[in-house]
Amino acid sequence: MPSPMAIQSASPTPSMFRKKSTPALNTAASYLSAVSEADARARAHGSTPSSTPALSLSSSVTSSSEDTVLHELDDETDNGLAYPKVPPTSEQIFTTVHTEFGHCANDAYRHTSQYNTEHPVKSVQEQDPPYYILLTTYISYIVVIFFGHLRDFFGKRLKAAEYRHLLAHDGYAALNSDFDSFYTRRLKLRIDDCFSHPVTGVPGRTIMLLDRHSANYNKTQILSGTRTRGLNVSSYNYLGFAQSKGGCTDASVECIKRYGLSACGSRREGATLDLHVQGEALVARFLGTEDALISSMGFATNSTIIPALVSKGCLVISDELNHASIRFGVRLSGANVRMFKHNNMKALESLLREVISQGQPKTHRPWKKILVIVEGLYSMEGTLVKLPEILELKKKYKFYVFVDEAHSVGALGPHGRGICDYYGINPSQIDILMGTFTKSFGAAGGYIAGSKQIVDRLRLTGHSGAYAEAMAPPIVTQVIASMASLMGITLSNVEKSSSSRSLLPRHSDGPLQLVNTSECAAYPGTAASSALPPWMPLPQSMCDGSDSSMRLRRLAFNSRYLNRALRKLGFITYGHDDSPVIPLLLFNPGKMAVFSRLMRARATPIVVVVVAYPATPLVTSRVRFCLSASHTKEDIDTILQACDEIGDLLDLKQGAGERWPLHEIMARAVELVKMDVCP
Amino acid sequence: MSTTSTSLEPLFSILSQTYSTLETTFYKLPGSAVVARYVKSSHQNDPGRTLLEIILILFAIRTLLQSRTRADNSGKHFVQFDEKEIDDLIDDWTPEPLAAPLSAKEQAELTNSPVIVGATGPKPKLSNGKTVTNLASYNFTGLAGNERVKERTIECLVKYGLGSCGPPGFYGTQDVHMQLEQDIADFLGTEAAIIYAQAFATISSVIPAFCKRGDIIVADRGVNFAIQKGLQISRSTIRWYDHNDMKSLEQVLENIEKERRKKKGPLTRRFIVTEGIFDHDGVMSDLPKLVELKLKYKYRLILDESVSFGSVGRTGRGLTELYNVPASQVDMLVGSLANGLTACGGFCAGTNIVVNHQRINGTSFVFSAAMPPLLSVAASEGINILRNTPSILSTLQENTRAVRAIFDKVDCISVPSHPASPMIHLHVRLPSPTHLLPMVPASPALSSSGKPSNPHSPIPRDPEVFDGDLEERILQDVVDEALAQGVMITRAKRLPGQELVEVRPSVRIAITAALSKKDCEKAANVVKAAFIKVVGKRR
Ligand SMILES: Cc1ncc(COP(=O)(O)O)c(C=O)c1O
Repeated sequence: MPSPMAIQSASPTPSMFRKKSTPALNTAASYLSAVSEADARARAHGSTPSSTPALSLSSSVTSSSEDTVLHELDDETDNGLAYPKVPPTSEQIFTTVHTEFGHCANDAYRHTSQYNTEHPVKSVQEQDPPYYILLTTYISYIVVIFFGHLRDFFGKRLKAAEYRHLLAHDGYAALNSDFDSFYTRRLKLRIDDCFSHPVTGVPGRTIMLLDRHSANYNKTQILSGTRTRGLNVSSYNYLGFAQSKGGCTDASVECIKRYGLSACGSRREGATLDLHVQGEALVARFLGTEDALISSMGFATNSTIIPALVSKGCLVISDELNHASIRFGVRLSGANVRMFKHNNMKALESLLREVISQGQPKTHRPWKKILVIVEGLYSMEGTLVKLPEILELKKKYKFYVFVDEAHSVGALGPHGRGICDYYGINPSQIDILMGTFTKSFGAAGGYIAGSKQIVDRLRLTGHSGAYAEAMAPPIVTQVIASMASLMGITLSNVEKSSSSRSLLPRHSDGPLQLVNTSECAAYPGTAASSALPPWMPLPQSMCDGSDSSMRLRRLAFNSRYLNRALRKLGFITYGHDDSPVIPLLLFNPGKMAVFSRLMRARATPIVVVVVAYPATPLVTSRVRFCLSASHTKEDIDTILQACDEIGDLLDLKQGAGERWPLHEIMARAVELVKMDVCP
Repeated sequence: MSTTSTSLEPLFSILSQTYSTLETTFYKLPGSAVVARYVKSSHQNDPGRTLLEIILILFAIRTLLQSRTRADNSGKHFVQFDEKEIDDLIDDWTPEPLAAPLSAKEQAELTNSPVIVGATGPKPKLSNGKTVTNLASYNFTGLAGNERVKERTIECLVKYGLGSCGPPGFYGTQDVHMQLEQDIADFLGTEAAIIYAQAFATISSVIPAFCKRGDIIVADRGVNFAIQKGLQISRSTIRWYDHNDMKSLEQVLENIEKERRKKKGPLTRRFIVTEGIFDHDGVMSDLPKLVELKLKYKYRLILDESVSFGSVGRTGRGLTELYNVPASQVDMLVGSLANGLTACGGFCAGTNIVVNHQRINGTSFVFSAAMPPLLSVAASEGINILRNTPSILSTLQENTRAVRAIFDKVDCISVPSHPASPMIHLHVRLPSPTHLLPMVPASPALSSSGKPSNPHSPIPRDPEVFDGDLEERILQDVVDEALAQGVMITRAKRLPGQELVEVRPSVRIAITAALSKKDCEKAANVVKAAFIKVVGKRR
């Protein structure tokens, strides 16, 4: 058996975990026969198929069938991912493909993501590992750095040709000098097989990896032509809208037929489509703000809008762990920047007192404005911003608040409206709500929402309006469809009689209809049917909100379950119990690669993201799980079992607190999730 | 031998003296004895440990320095206040509003801009129900609404879903992305290419990925806004040369070289940053000359082909095809998939080293979700169509020529754009004597004064003189008039106050291969009539 530390060899060798778990139903035939048996049994008892509220009902789709499990016939792997462990009964109707969006009918595996004012759930105290872990972590870095330099020393002398591009040559300075690229070449390269892994297909509950190997120690990777399906806890697919089948996809297909692919140009130079206007109105209504604008890239939303908000003479106070796009935007703005310790309100307040009293540097003139930029959910830490406390400070210190909801919108709150919804805060208290569609909505692009005056100003002075390409029509459609289904759609009386919007009489040639502002008063509001493109087909379950409510509640359950279960197993994790992003601390850089490879090599492969310096502080290398509504409880159990075994192997269970054995955690999952405070 | 040791004697004595003073001051520090004893004994037991500990201490110091939260209250400008005073200051402070309310003109711009209902294309329908001829949208190749592209993207959509749901480094790289990168590289003839999710966010990440503090960038004074932002982020030393003036460029390069020789500074990275067809006015770069200069002075060339890729050259490969310069001569060739291929996103093509470097250092590549797979497929299919259908580009060129023939003959219009550029800027030329200098000086480099511009400033020595507000108003009237006559055009939208140099207002026309030559001429005549009518009214 090859060592797991070794770089994956060309021919996939069976790993030490291969033998262990054999899925109960590993062939299509056995699965389908189980389905039909269940069907027969039900018919014998004379029960009529009905649906539980949590399941999506659509008359057009029959019960679990080849459609929902076998969509990819070349998916030859028997890794227990293609079929549910428990076949459905005849009452259970699933319309999703199990590999994209897991079948889970048990209504107990649901939870609501909401701030509990009586028992506020706090982000866990960041635990320090034992000293020997820290010490060995430092030593491992020292060792690789030492060997890196040693190899460079000899390499430059013995294999000069390979170093040519790293040194000045022919009168050109090196594009990336040997010094600048040291970390990449000598540290990252060693574990490069854990990064940038190419995939194909839907990044849903599972993901199809394109297998690759390297013959030259990761310098180049060669695709071997085979593929491996793995359980996907890496993609930002919080609500599971990454689907190739379903209402959103149908809507986007229809959109491509009608609109084509592009709006051809920038929004202010003749590329504003009715879809953009409808999309913006819907986003505003979804978030409960007066107005909103959308842009074709989330990163660029920050980097091109922040410079339009603040400029020289203004101050930006930024959380130290804010995303690169925010830093990019702030740097372009020319405003002064100060950082405060991550999510530390005391540090923020003392900084505010200092900067307001001191005024601008040197001149001591008062600041024109102060903008505090925070994220709703921090994607590397899993922490939630302490928004109520920030708003308390805002009253006294009169700064403006910009909340980047890239990861929190859709993923948090009982209605999926993000961090405000989670805390029960009126969104009008926040000056700027920013977010992206890349994550929860399974689309691309970003938005800025706020008062009409601010948003209109940003339409004119933000860089994207004049220069960046407008959002592509099918992308807007995905946003509209997924967002509208989260909101639920109020049908007009005529429409109520028919079962879905696709059957509506078409009024696509009529003038553009927009929601009028009086309708927007209610928050969290529903989407008026007239505010959506009339041609957009949406199944019943998406119109009545049952589909989305299932998604939201499954995500909330999954998040809490994995968060608390990992801690009960003894791992050190960061972040908030309700966060769908869960960092599990590994510390040792070497463990990152091994963890990732072991997870990928299991009988049921699990695809994880590992991150280290420079994305995190040097010592706190971690693996990051991103949960999704598409995962089932069994999937989480699979992850837990894998973590449990690998955790023992790699000596990762260093956390303090009460521990439960794995089987107890799995058995008491619901209890664990429903506890107000995890003991 | 003995002489050297005697001559070194004073040095040794100074050294030993400093050492002993250092030692005594060290022992004067409280607790120092303990530290010294610890170090000594641990060194005795295990000399390797000392090294390890020193390294550990260095790490610890480094980690401490990394936290950037320390209050900056040690500076000499810090004023000490007590709590009460601070509270008063806080009460007194009134911030400006976050956004100033819109003026009537700004409001009008927002409410009056046309909204297209349904698909865009050569003849879209507007929200007022009218169908217009579209000379505003970037649809050079006419691929918008192409049925084959639609088919391919729908196939992709029902297989991959819509979003990529992750950055390229974390399972966001789909096989279709790799395919597109390969397609671009093959199409242009470079080793490799990398795709970004938005065209505008491409070059502003490409530049800072390579250019760091201390590096030298020589840039054209007329570069577009995205490049300006990239230059700003890079924090490199920037020298400017006159807009599209190769003599000025050579002079600047020569001066930098002289300066370097004089200072004998270390060899730094040096770049020339410019555009293929300039977004601001449609002027075209002289690529062969650029390449010659960059090779002569050993610079790397970053060329933004956002407008020229997919719009010039026999099959739309851009400037390299037009001038028959191998694309490998351009170190970083940046282009847009949105303009030429009517998909979305941007790319940078170059050697493997250039491309792989960006996979780790291109900020908007690393920290943003990968492009939705269906848009990559659209771009791939677009390239495929261009490659197999040279008639697209020849139609485009014919249409461009036909339209130029009309505009070039109008008194009240001046056209700065290159005759081959399908993006045509129209300036208004006012005959009245109150507006001097309506003409763009052909080459402002060595103008009347004879002295070159200051390379440290983006502002040229003899900046163009124009009445921006007036011209803008006139051009807006032209746009409105043309729209009333059924032709959609647009003013080139700028960000006043944020651009490095204020750009002269213009109407920006985008010719498309999707319209027939006759339609193009008809539309151009409408625009011409609108100009004449609006300018005529002002007399
Ligand atoms: C906080 C935050 N803001 C913005 C972005 C950028 O969004 P996009 O991936 O849509 O460009 C991200 C994505 O990772 C993010 O985490």
